[in-house]
Amino acid sequence: MRGNILLPVLVFWPIAGALIGYGIGRKRKAARDYFAAFVGVTELLLAAFTLYQVAAGEEMSFFLPYFCDQGLYLKLDGFRALHGAVAALVWVTTTVFSREYLQNCRNRNRYYLFTLLTCGATMGVFLSVDLFTTFIFFEIMSFTSYVLVIHDETPEAMRAGETYVAVAVIGGMVMLMGLFLLRQMTGTLNMEELLSACEAVTDKGRLYLAGALILFGFGAKAGMYPLHVWLPRTYPAAPAPASAILSAILSKAGVFGVLVVSCDIFLHDSLWGSVMLAIGVITMFLGAVIAVFAMDLKRTLAGSSMSQIGFILVGVGMQGLLGHHNSLAVWGTLLHMVNHSLIKLVLFLAAGVVYMNLHRLDLNGIRGFGRNKPLLKVIFLTGYLGVIGMPLWNGYISKTLLHESIVEYIEILAEAGLSIGVFKAVEWIFLFSGGLTAAYMTKLFVAVFCEKNPCHAEETEASDKSYMNRSSALALGIPALLIPLIGVLPQVFMVGMAKLGQGFVHGEAPAHAIAFFSWTNLKGALISLAIGAAVYFGFIRTCLMKTDENGNRVYVDRWPGWLDLEYLVYRPLVQKALPALGGFLGVICDRIAEPVGAALLFLGAFASRLAGVLTDGLHAVLMGTLLRKRGIPETNPGDFEPGSMINRVRMSRTGQRITGSFSFGLLLFGVGFCIAMFYLIFVLLGR
Amino acid sequence: MNAGLILIPILLPVAAGACLPLFHFKERKARERYVTAAVLATSLALLFLILNRPEGVITLLPLTEDLSIAFRMDGLSCVFLGLVGFLWPLASCYAFEYIKHEGMDDKFFSFYTMTYGVTVGIAASANLITMYLCYELLTLVTLPLVMHAMNNRAVAAGRKYLAYSIGGAALAFAGIMILYVYGDKSLTFVYGGFVNPAVNGGERDILLAGYLLTFFGFGVKAAVFPFHGWLPSAGVAPTPVTALLHAVAVVKAGVFAIMRSTFYCFGTGLLAGTWAQEAAMIFAMATILFGSAMAWRDLHIKRRLAYSTVSNLSYIVFGVTLMTPAGFTGALCHMIFHGLMKITLFFCAGAVMYKTHREYVTELDGFGAGMPVTFAAFTIASLALTGVPLLPGFISKWSLATAAASTGEPLAFAGVLVLLASAVLTAAYLFTVVVRAYFPGVSFDRAKIADVRDPNWYMCVPLGILCGTMVFLGLCSPLLTNLLAQVAGGLV
Repeated sequence: MRGNILLPVLVFWPIAGALIGYGIGRKRKAARDYFAAFVGVTELLLAAFTLYQVAAGEEMSFFLPYFCDQGLYLKLDGFRALHGAVAALVWVTTTVFSREYLQNCRNRNRYYLFTLLTCGATMGVFLSVDLFTTFIFFEIMSFTSYVLVIHDETPEAMRAGETYVAVAVIGGMVMLMGLFLLRQMTGTLNMEELLSACEAVTDKGRLYLAGALILFGFGAKAGMYPLHVWLPRTYPAAPAPASAILSAILSKAGVFGVLVVSCDIFLHDSLWGSVMLAIGVITMFLGAVIAVFAMDLKRTLAGSSMSQIGFILVGVGMQGLLGHHNSLAVWGTLLHMVNHSLIKLVLFLAAGVVYMNLHRLDLNGIRGFGRNKPLLKVIFLTGYLGVIGMPLWNGYISKTLLHESIVEYIEILAEAGLSIGVFKAVEWIFLFSGGLTAAYMTKLFVAVFCEKNPCHAEETEASDKSYMNRSSALALGIPALLIPLIGVLPQVFMVGMAKLGQGFVHGEAPAHAIAFFSWTNLKGALISLAIGAAVYFGFIRTCLMKTDENGNRVYVDRWPGWLDLEYLVYRPLVQKALPALGGFLGVICDRIAEPVGAALLFLGAFASRLAGVLTDGLHAVLMGTLLRKRGIPETNPGDFEPGSMINRVRMSRTGQRITGSFSFGLLLFGVGFCIAMFYLIFVLLGR
Repeated sequence: MNAGLILIPILLPVAAGACLPLFHFKERKARERYVTAAVLATSLALLFLILNRPEGVITLLPLTEDLSIAFRMDGLSCVFLGLVGFLWPLASCYAFEYIKHEGMDDKFFSFYTMTYGVTVGIAASANLITMYLCYELLTLVTLPLVMHAMNNRAVAAGRKYLAYSIGGAALAFAGIMILYVYGDKSLTFVYGGFVNPAVNGGERDILLAGYLLTFFGFGVKAAVFPFHGWLPSAGVAPTPVTALLHAVAVVKAGVFAIMRSTFYCFGTGLLAGTWAQEAAMIFAMATILFGSAMAWRDLHIKRRLAYSTVSNLSYIVFGVTLMTPAGFTGALCHMIFHGLMKITLFFCAGAVMYKTHREYVTELDGFGAGMPVTFAAFTIASLALTGVPLLPGFISKWSLATAAASTGEPLAFAGVLVLLASAVLTAAYLFTVVVRAYFPGVSFDRAKIADVRDPNWYMCVPLGILCGTMVFLGLCSPLLTNLLAQVAGGLV
């Protein structure tokens, strides 16, 4: 064991706290709630302290040999410290908020146990410097978060959890396969050594295979297309604090892995970059489309999460394509990760406030809930403006950087005289997805905070103060405050964060300072917002709303139910085709094995019977010829003869009268004795 | 140190078991004390012997000029002996409680204790012929345990078991004869094999065929497809038997025999890279997938676990067939860890059957609340068997897969794929039980599990000890794996 002891404390303190908290919770529930918050706060303070130290230029590492066979390697650099701090912030706020959100729920003890376990495991993922360590914590995180997902144990939640854990298990195993391949080729899984080790690998094809397999595992957790199927189902089914954790942090753990693969194995690799870009574009667009069609608050946010992960993946792809000039893409990717974490934390918790009061999430049911609740409205508004990329909010900065990176690549291509059509298309999909973001977020904001509820306005719009308590308001308010704060002062916060993190992806600061609010940069955001307004008024307000029988305009779900990759392809494949095939083969094998065994048994029995018959026959022949003993003719079963009579007759017929007599016995003894004596005499005389 | 001491743990349980019916125990407690004394004495003797390993060979009975019944302890023996010696007392403690439910205690414990001695005999054999004799004895002495209930199903299972085992032993015997003719006349185990690896032509092919004969012959007890059929049927035996014998002692004896014949008789120098190795490996891989798939399909909890055993035994066999020290290490690792995990799972299944008479996995909804200790153990063992990090199953699978990957052969890579696919299936067939037990859903009627309670300490304490050991080994595995690597390298 060597290195800074703070690092394992960061990882294992929440795990220990989880177990202690569970013990406390069995006795006193209130004490447990405070203890969980205490664990969260200490973790946050610790993370903030380490972040401060790292920002001051210190690097910490920790190594524990023998841990789980391969040893535990932890490290804290700028990127890791930043995400550790964000994760701790997410946990503090969700834990505090859970207290009110879950107050009427069953199994709260279980919830707190697993949320803190997940926290520790996530810290482990972010701090790991060896892919083996990453894998360990990643798997633990997957399994512990499963319990959070199914916390309500409703049929939907159980079904979503099933998908979640299936994707997690399969993803984990595929990733493990990739790790084996990688380790066999490079001889190391340490992220610091991987880059040089991978450059030395000559068989690039196998390296791509290994990378793709590892990407599969991490991408599944991030919600990358086509492994996103669990995401739109899981986020809405989980309790709001758990959704916030899933969206804000666990997806980032997946992105963390994607970054490791992209920057430590395939740094500046344009082929890898274009694949990542393609995946990112699809994820970004598909998520936005799902969100536009969704008529459920949390499903919309889930689609939005997927879409934003797509933005991040686009950034990852651009990093690979731009090669050494990728500083804009690097900054955009890193900042969008942090920004998205903060925004989704706020938005999901706000959704939790809605659910906590109304116990429903469909837009028609919750319409107008926020009309008389200014605090909630402001909090939601910050998240809303952040995610749509409104200038002066944080999302604007990162999206602009990502957009600029695409523009920069188009310029490079144009200078080289290459075709730019594809990347023009990418740019426009990027802007259009940004527009969809604005459209669906506007849909939510208008529905929840502006419109009147046409059916039961009094219940939903009740403006009493008790819709959330003070600690929950604080938990929502602080991250909501951060969103515009870091957006207004980008040169302080954004540049600082980006500079902290860029070393992790082997990036460098841009050659010249970036004017975030210059006209060219503002133009992209404004185009997106214009598209958003067009989609909102041209599509959502017309096609996704209808007039019901009472003359009210209501939202309708026009998403085609059958259009679901999971139910269309994956589930039939996994649940029907594969087991049918496996079972068929299994049954065939079983059917073959049984007759083979039976045949062998039969053969053995037959052989022994044959041998028996032969021996019996030989015996009979001998008896009939050489030994002159005949079998006794059986008496008829009907005849009655006393036993002594039978014996007498048999003895007289077979000559046993003699052989059975005492004198015969004596005679034989005498013969034997003589032989023995002769033998002795010969032996003795012979000497 | 006198090698004759090895005879103590072999003969003591056999004698104790054979004499048990003579005492005519009236009271359960008295019998328990007697069995505990015998089993603990044997285990302590084993512990002592492992720590102070006697050098040299003790010849019990010379058979011919070359062959003899002889015992010896080497590294591989110690691994198997350590596993058996650790688990037997725990299983006995569990059996004291479980057998209340089955009856015929004298007969049961008599054979149960004798089996211990025979298993130790297999582990400590110095040559192939001794091992073969003990191996046959093991079949005979465990047969009454399988047929314990003496109803139609039990008798049928017993007959199946007998037919498979004797048939397998016959195959193995043919292989042994080939070794006798072409190898060393004394058949004494030597690390690296006693066959000249440079033989060529027809002799080589005969030897390779002989290897396959021993592989499948001993593979019957290791439940290698297509000779696995007896294992799921043998699940009708009382659970302590299924748990200890059909998850550890008997089946591991089969695996152990394969290890002996591969690394100590034929030798990897002869086998590596031949068609015999490939054939053996393919069968092991097929069994892994087949066992997992069948386990998924089966809803009877003990049969599901039995199929899982089929699959997991072939993990070990796969490790052996890699024919590298690393593969052997992985195999040994999985041999020990699978023993721990599977005995725990069977104990839990037995506890459920003993307390509630429910046998199908679909009937276990909500049991997590009713039987917290049992299901905590079940969960830990399930996670471990699936290969979740921090638990021992992960370590052994990791070392098996890295060993396979490091050979660099395409077939071994396919093996890694098979291991991972099987892990997914393992998750599917074990987690469904765990999830149903803990998360029965909101509409679950709690009255259904009103009578479900944890068993008493006879069953819970072994479960606790096993779980503790699993977690400890999962976290601090290098303590064990370094030792196993030495054994696998022939250094100990």
